[in-house]
Amino acid sequence: MTDAAIEVENLSFGYGQTPILESVNVAFPSNRFSVLLGRNGSGKSTLFNIMAGLQKYKQGSVRLMGKERSKMSFSDCARVLGFLPQFHKSVFPFKVKDVVLTGRAAFSAFTPRKSDMTKVGQAIEELGISHLADRPYTELSGGEQQLVMIARVLVQNPKIILLDEPTNHLDVYYQTYVLDRLKKLTENNLTVIAIMHDPNMAFLYADHCYFMKDRTVVTPTEQFDYHASTFLEYVYDVRFTTVMVNDKLMVVPGR
Amino acid sequence: MRKVLTGFLIYGLPIPLLLYSLTVGPSQGLVFADYWDWGKAALQGDIHESSTKIYMLNNIIENVRLPRVLLTFIIGAGLAASGGALQGIFRNPLVDPYVLGISSGSAFGAALAIAFPLLHINVMAFVLGVASVVMTYSFAFSNNKSSIVAVILSGMIVSGIFTASLTVVQYMSDPYKLQAIVQWTMGNLHHASWDKIQTAALPVGIGIVGMYLMRWRLNLLALGEHEAKAVGVNPTADKATLVALATLTTSTSVAAAGVISMYGLFIPHLTRMMVGPDNRKAMPANIFFGGSFLVIIDNFSRSLMDFEIPIGIFTMLLGAPFFLFLMKKNKINWV
Repeated sequence: MTDAAIEVENLSFGYGQTPILESVNVAFPSNRFSVLLGRNGSGKSTLFNIMAGLQKYKQGSVRLMGKERSKMSFSDCARVLGFLPQFHKSVFPFKVKDVVLTGRAAFSAFTPRKSDMTKVGQAIEELGISHLADRPYTELSGGEQQLVMIARVLVQNPKIILLDEPTNHLDVYYQTYVLDRLKKLTENNLTVIAIMHDPNMAFLYADHCYFMKDRTVVTPTEQFDYHASTFLEYVYDVRFTTVMVNDKLMVVPGR
Repeated sequence: MRKVLTGFLIYGLPIPLLLYSLTVGPSQGLVFADYWDWGKAALQGDIHESSTKIYMLNNIIENVRLPRVLLTFIIGAGLAASGGALQGIFRNPLVDPYVLGISSGSAFGAALAIAFPLLHINVMAFVLGVASVVMTYSFAFSNNKSSIVAVILSGMIVSGIFTASLTVVQYMSDPYKLQAIVQWTMGNLHHASWDKIQTAALPVGIGIVGMYLMRWRLNLLALGEHEAKAVGVNPTADKATLVALATLTTSTSVAAAGVISMYGLFIPHLTRMMVGPDNRKAMPANIFFGGSFLVIIDNFSRSLMDFEIPIGIFTMLLGAPFFLFLMKKNKINWV
């Protein structure tokens, strides 16, 4: 067993002639909350789609818990990894518990089993949304919907969950609520990897931060800590000022 | 209370309704009274007088009304189930076999088979039905993305192409065949016979059972392609299977009874109002209520006027305002 939940080596990818990723090397440690940051278009979502299996890759390797991703079937992969795509809109007003139940579809062919229902109950309780079980999904607020979709990933019993901008469109209350819950999940042998935009939120909650710049993951060296404003300036092309708030380092864009 | 009522509407209604429908028809509906008289007469040992009448009545019920009522039920169930399945797959509450062009494609195929006996009518209807849904899909979707409106528009275009082609076939056929084609495209059940039931029952049955089995998968598909892949299911195979089943069902019923427009659109909405959007409940509701409701409409179509109103016209007149109502109510995102 390796220490890394996901290992990416020399991964390159592009649409036609346009390169999106160029020799990406990164390893996400298991049972930790890792956050991937970077500017729009730096290739974060594409990297996630490849790791989640929504996008095929030809050059390089991606290993999930030590196994090559491209050699795993959809349902093999579902046992290991759950993915939360960016925004989601449902046309039909399904009940919350029915939406969550569809997370079990890779394991039960035609009708869900009793044990599937139990898992749904556990997942929504773990996220503190049991009271929403019978409400129509379409009538929930953005934050509540996000929690429902996280519950839907949890019922898969994955070892790793990937979340593409889980705190997007959420108010501060739900941002902290969601991040608190995600952080808690890592205590139960889960690896959580999320894309985020706000570096301060990432610094507050993440165990590890990774940055993408120009189609690849850039790692700060030891002397060149990622809290350092110079490194962030390089990543975001914006000047930053660092401030200390209750012993925590925060950054403020501009000066 | 509400549960009991919807439960009765869905599962309790079919049997009494089918029995009642046997008494509806142009040769006036005194069936039960006639049988009652016959029974009384028989008790008094006076069988001979009324038995010819009973013989005729038996004949009407056995060879005209029973096959018709059964065929209507099967077709209604099939179209409603197909409509529900297609709405889930396309994630679009405004589609049904008619809106997607499947009905027109199948009608063209079936008309070809009537005018020029090339292949079996069911086979032709199915092949052209598949062709039309593939066309609609490929016109509307680019890069796996589409909008509700794009799907409806391309369905309209495909429908237009096949309706025009159908007119060409009509133009080229001789008057006798022309009459047959025109009557049948309007959606007509008065040619129902045991023969038709024999050819229609198996394909429609396969379609209905298949869609019933996949009713929970449909929930997953209705959430979207990415959401299915995210939880480890490749939706393409499921989608293809369901579209094939819906097309098989639709094309068979078009071959048997012509185009019954918009029926697959509004029944799934009615059942969703009754049992909610979860397809595990909505799919059986579509099947049973869809069957019953078409029998009710057919009863009106054959007893409202001196002549029969083609049922396809009836469903279109019901479906059109319903479609407009949904369009307003859903506040669809038009992009």
